[in-house]
Amino acid sequence: MTKLIVRRVFWTIPVLLLVILLTFVMMRQISGNPFRRSERAIPAEIQANLEAQYGLDDPWYIQYLRYVKGVATFDLGPSLVLRNQTVNDIVRDHFPKSLELGALAFLFAIVFGIPLGVIAALKANSWLDYFTMFFSNVGFAVPSFLVATLLIYFFSLEWDLGFPTSGWSTWQSKVLPVIALGLGPMAYFARLVRGTMLETLQADYIRTARAKGLRWRRVVGVHVLRNSLIPVVTAAGPLLGFLITGSFVIEQIFAIPGIGRYYVTAVTARDYSVVMGLTVLLSVIIIFANLVVDILYGFLDPRTRDVRT
Amino acid sequence: MKSKSAWFALAALVAAMALVAAGCGGGDEEGSGGGQTTQAQGEGNLAADQTVNVNWGAEPPSLDPGLATDTTSADILYNIMDPLVKLGPNLKPVPSLAESWDVSQDGKTVTYHLRKDGKWTNGDPVTAHDFEYSWKRTISPDLAADYAYQFYGIVGAQEYNGCKSNCAALKDKVGVKATDDYTLQVQLTSAQPWFIQQSAHHSFLAVNRKAVEQFGSKWTEAKNIVTDGPFKLVKWAHDSEIDMAKWDGWRNAKDVTLTRVNGRMITDGTTAVQAYEAGEIDMNPNLPTEEIPRIKDTEDYQQYPGLGTYYYGFNVKNIPDVNQRRAMSLAIDRQSIIDNIAQADQEPATGFVPKGMPGFDQIHRDSPWAKPTADLAAAKDLMAKVQNPNKDVTLILNDSPGHREIAVAIQAAWKELGIKTTIKVQEWAQFLEFLGPPPDKSVDAYRLGWIGDFVDAINFLELWTCDSGNNNANFCNKQYDSLVAKARNTPDNAQRFGIYKQLEDILVGQNGDLPIMPIYWYTYIQQERPTIQDTWNVNLLNQTDLTKVKKVEE
Repeated sequence: MTKLIVRRVFWTIPVLLLVILLTFVMMRQISGNPFRRSERAIPAEIQANLEAQYGLDDPWYIQYLRYVKGVATFDLGPSLVLRNQTVNDIVRDHFPKSLELGALAFLFAIVFGIPLGVIAALKANSWLDYFTMFFSNVGFAVPSFLVATLLIYFFSLEWDLGFPTSGWSTWQSKVLPVIALGLGPMAYFARLVRGTMLETLQADYIRTARAKGLRWRRVVGVHVLRNSLIPVVTAAGPLLGFLITGSFVIEQIFAIPGIGRYYVTAVTARDYSVVMGLTVLLSVIIIFANLVVDILYGFLDPRTRDVRT
Repeated sequence: MKSKSAWFALAALVAAMALVAAGCGGGDEEGSGGGQTTQAQGEGNLAADQTVNVNWGAEPPSLDPGLATDTTSADILYNIMDPLVKLGPNLKPVPSLAESWDVSQDGKTVTYHLRKDGKWTNGDPVTAHDFEYSWKRTISPDLAADYAYQFYGIVGAQEYNGCKSNCAALKDKVGVKATDDYTLQVQLTSAQPWFIQQSAHHSFLAVNRKAVEQFGSKWTEAKNIVTDGPFKLVKWAHDSEIDMAKWDGWRNAKDVTLTRVNGRMITDGTTAVQAYEAGEIDMNPNLPTEEIPRIKDTEDYQQYPGLGTYYYGFNVKNIPDVNQRRAMSLAIDRQSIIDNIAQADQEPATGFVPKGMPGFDQIHRDSPWAKPTADLAAAKDLMAKVQNPNKDVTLILNDSPGHREIAVAIQAAWKELGIKTTIKVQEWAQFLEFLGPPPDKSVDAYRLGWIGDFVDAINFLELWTCDSGNNNANFCNKQYDSLVAKARNTPDNAQRFGIYKQLEDILVGQNGDLPIMPIYWYTYIQQERPTIQDTWNVNLLNQTDLTKVKKVEE
């Protein structure tokens, strides 16, 4: 296990360098002047001053090396648009909120999705199964921005249940965004768990367990569930990607001051340092999350443990 | 919608009165500085709680007057800082921190006399030295201020801003000097009669030197910032909230009624409207186009004229025949576009300089080529006269909401003239690249708008000089350029407005070249609670003076 972790951490560095290079090249390829934000033309003197201040008048490889050095020292540079803030400031102020939103949405998806799938599998082909699956299909198919707007309209406005329409402060303000973001993953988990459980329930070893006289609850809880969770863990990887990109939309609609909002506006505004900084950050997160997933695999399925170290 | 209809019924009585007030809500303003009564103008008594919740709409990129460029920053700065002058009714300059000013005979020297009771929140008095320091700081190349060009009318400013060496000497040559603690003398490169009004712009605000030197780029954080205006910044949670509280140390604090302004930053229009309707905010300037018809019928709808023109520009190299450009402008139905697509009661633009600009009556004459309704017959006649018409027009737009729908309507109108229009929607920065100047060869027409920086028509008319960085039409007319130069040196308003009229004529008059076709003049629309509607006012430059706002009882 330790060998796995060490190897993974080691490989992070070349992956990150590649990510930085690709993002750097892509951002420079899209034409657009980061300093011309309105239709007003910028006088040549001012353009020169701005380029000098941000080091954009240096050749591209100097800029690249300067940036890599910055990442190594955890200094992600100043924002080109938010003139009084650095990327580090932005990450420090906003990343915790996005992390909280994503984590809560993930928790919501697990806490509701897995039991839903279990119930549907155990009571397969009953009205409960159909109802749960219908509900989960809707949750998966309806886009999150529509869910978000509908939730605000009904829970905040029409029925006046004490949920604010936007913002991220009191616990009440966190409920609607978490549901909006977590509904899709919840539905996905429910389907996944139901499917694998149905399959597992047919397996021979389950029949053996029941024949042995084990209590049904133990059979389900220990043997069936544990084997059914492996696909869920597999899905957690791409799900992280969904949560990250989905959060951009949710943060925009609910006016949540997370990094998702900044990321999208930064690309349009050509705020190079913010785009690079957030891409690096998100890459690190995804690499780390995949590492966690792989470790979890080891616990859930002992067969994989020996093969991979 | 049950709860909504009940609400409408209750508000019917108030709506009648509010409609009258709303109709007068445009450029009207009480005289500056008044307001000692406890009765607000309008129906009610003052509310006990003078707290207002607003939607700023976006995070201000910077609250440093030297670095701020957008309207959100400007709106906040306008209320936490103390400008030398403010813009009063009719946009004439009104004394603020400067109690008076003199302009020399030749118009090139402006002297501001400051009040002696201006104060910073750290106890320092506000002096002319603060302004000299701040203006030179904004002009300096080190700050790399976007709006440094606002100062280019001052002697030595452009040179200092562009200096590569010997900058200290150039800094001393800049024509801004505090001749004593309360006198600021400015030397201009030419007589710029609009300079006093221009100095109401937020770039001309003073900053506190001690705070800037102590905290560096972090001086604008709520815990560090030092201000000198009627409100102080008490909270700035980035991308989330900006709150201001009345500052009792301000020189005229007794005239300020509001005690606190709490502001959210809701960029999504639908959420903003929902927040307003849930009662979380009392004012919302962020209205999605599709909601406008519904909101117009409510008592919360408020509309103000803006100083800006929405127009289509032509690449005159690609559409060289003036008759074709005139025909294309005649063929569109401006009123219909406003009524059915834009829907915010904008005014059809029958000229380039917008209504509300000082001197408008003298400058403006209804263009025979830009009428409120379409004149297809005349347009077709004109097209017939064109030798080699460009029948394959590429129109570029940026991808903000609303522009495409207007383009489609115009595409249909041009089809009547036998022109096939291809609409290309581009992302903003990409769009700007295509605009240049000079515009990309593939561009035949483009959509753009221009909102006034300051209140003189030169700000609109100088866009079309041959070397203007904002001339995206490949338009170059020597006579036009010489008239602009002449106007810059004509301090007498009446005379200068006469020159502006000639410039308008060259653009859109009977013998006009029509490098652009104006479409409508902007309006600002927002939702406002009836309790603040009477006193809340957005002026032509989209500024709100919160010292004048009073909240009445419901």
